Amino acid sequence: MDPRIEDADLTGAGGPSPDYEVALVSLNQWQLAWRRFKKHRLALIGACIFVGMIAIAVFGPIFLPYDPTFVPVPDSLFCPGSTTQLAYSGCPPFTPGHILGTTGSLRLDLLTLVVNGARVSLLIGLGASIFSAVIGTIVGGLAGYFGGWLDNILMRIVDVMLSIPILFVIIIFAEVFGNGDWRVILIVFAVFGWQGIARLVRSLFLTLRTEVFVDAARAVGVSDVRIIFRHILPNAVSPIIVSTTLSVAGVIIGEAFVSFIGYGVNPQLTPTWGNELTAAQDFIAQGNWWWPTFPGLAIVLTVLGINFMGDGLRDALDPRSRE
Amino acid sequence: MLKYIVRRSLQAIPVLFGITIVCFMLMHLQPGNPADRFAQNPKITQAQIEAFKHRWGLDEPLPAQYCMWMGACGDKGVLNALPGGNINIAGVSIALPGGDNGVLHGDFGYSIFDGSPVTTIIANRALPTLILAGTAYVIWITIAFLAGVYAAVKRYGKFDSALTIFNYVGYSLPTFWLGLMLIAFLSVPPLKIFPASGMWDARTVPIFGTGDYWTFVGSHPLDALTDLARHLALPVLTLVLVSVAGDSRFIRSSMLDALNQDYVKTARAKGLSERRVIFRHALRNALLPVITNVGLEIPFLFSGAIATETIFSWPGMGRQFVESVGHNDYTVLMGILLITSVVVVFGNLFADIMYAVVDPRVKYD
Repeated sequence: MDPRIEDADLTGAGGPSPDYEVALVSLNQWQLAWRRFKKHRLALIGACIFVGMIAIAVFGPIFLPYDPTFVPVPDSLFCPGSTTQLAYSGCPPFTPGHILGTTGSLRLDLLTLVVNGARVSLLIGLGASIFSAVIGTIVGGLAGYFGGWLDNILMRIVDVMLSIPILFVIIIFAEVFGNGDWRVILIVFAVFGWQGIARLVRSLFLTLRTEVFVDAARAVGVSDVRIIFRHILPNAVSPIIVSTTLSVAGVIIGEAFVSFIGYGVNPQLTPTWGNELTAAQDFIAQGNWWWPTFPGLAIVLTVLGINFMGDGLRDALDPRSRE
Repeated sequence: MLKYIVRRSLQAIPVLFGITIVCFMLMHLQPGNPADRFAQNPKITQAQIEAFKHRWGLDEPLPAQYCMWMGACGDKGVLNALPGGNINIAGVSIALPGGDNGVLHGDFGYSIFDGSPVTTIIANRALPTLILAGTAYVIWITIAFLAGVYAAVKRYGKFDSALTIFNYVGYSLPTFWLGLMLIAFLSVPPLKIFPASGMWDARTVPIFGTGDYWTFVGSHPLDALTDLARHLALPVLTLVLVSVAGDSRFIRSSMLDALNQDYVKTARAKGLSERRVIFRHALRNALLPVITNVGLEIPFLFSGAIATETIFSWPGMGRQFVESVGHNDYTVLMGILLITSVVVVFGNLFADIMYAVVDPRVKYD
């Protein structure tokens, strides 16, 4: 059945007119996409996880008794309620007052770290992805729309950026310009993350610019800028959204790694899921498995949610790509 | 066909050129320059600093410095892109005008940190990376291939569902964290099965790559191999788990595409056995995109699994890179970046050409 008439009032009793045509509920493409998205169970789960993580990042720290950078004064050599577990190696989960346990060395509360880490990890993931989507759309759009020498130059730059192992470049830039400030890391990831989207947008623009509606617009004297933004871009938006969503996952993992090896966000200024893991490796040998586990689980859960959501969005926004 | 290969190769040249420019710019983005180390020294005059800069061409404009770094220009812009030295033709010694330093001559300079040639450092690190990534590569391609094809043939079966879940999870795992988890649960008590880091057991085996090591390998081949295998276990497992997830998904969908083609229906309609349909008709065609994908992953063997090597202290290229970042050792960084990028370009080239070779339907115009 045509989804448009699914909600239609076919009896005609409730409508102002018994006419079938009037009772039609017209849905725009976003409403149609939302319907398809709702039917995708995994995508809904993914969206819930993702929204939940954002909610935790925004509101979570309000409900926690500890400050992430607060270093408690040790009052005992041993963990609360234990006579054998040294507090210096970290207290295991379900220790009174610390449901996920504590880290080694500074004895920070892990739940506090994980919840506060969500803030900057998600912010960098979302911010850098959106930022690079904008750059990629502009570059790809210009190359695809105007073609010629501009296309040649821009695409050779993209080729070069796709050939260089970009994580290496990001690490170098993070180390040179980053003073541990998360905003610098966000910008570094944005500046080196647009090449994939640029290539995607270019190929979309190459096809779309030959469409009849573009010829029509040009024939009536619409300017290039207006054609790009009002006529072509809206038709290219779905793949851009899908690609941006999936790139959030990539940036979160990338940032976590760069911060983990110590060239990203400074753990003393801002906790992120990556830099919380840096020192954890040293305490594994002392049996502290919970410290490396929980911040990492937060990353996996978030990335899993984003990947589910991205697949759902792809099916919803571009029904032709379904298997 | 030959025309296609030549044309495709020529396309790689501007990209290679661009890569060298990016590497050079990255080096120049670093704060300071080599003459800065004299700034705090009261015995060195400004004139001497100027002379030093002049000697090494640091007072030249950037394009000239780039040309010299590449090895295309000698001092003061003399062309030396050709190999230098003397050659002997029919008893007559002829001096060649070229030089022998610079990137074009395979010379990446010397490490700022310890002064050894960058090429030596990279050569020492290349073998461990090849051993780790090569082993992982063979294992994960085999597993991904078998799993992907089986899942596609038994579509929507139990194995297919299990593989889908595994793929989603595996695809979402940060490599470095998976490594940490394997260490936390498989290399500390109570399950102390594998060593947590390194490439050899320092108590029983000499340092890898030294002459002593190879003598040890010669005299105790089995011990050396067992030791290497024990140290390889966790890093290889990390790489395999993460990579199988992406690749088996790709192989599965490629096989599903092939199974849905009309020629497969025709083969079935002719009454061929299912076995023959799958292996002779579908699989051969499903392999085409897989070959490209496998080719595209070859550069990974060189750039190394940077995260895995870091976690497991594996003495490869990736770990060298991370160490060099810490030392601000830009010459080594540029060397690694340049070599891995060039390998990526050739990997892509190889994949494209392979695809054209195995698939006669590709047009070469």
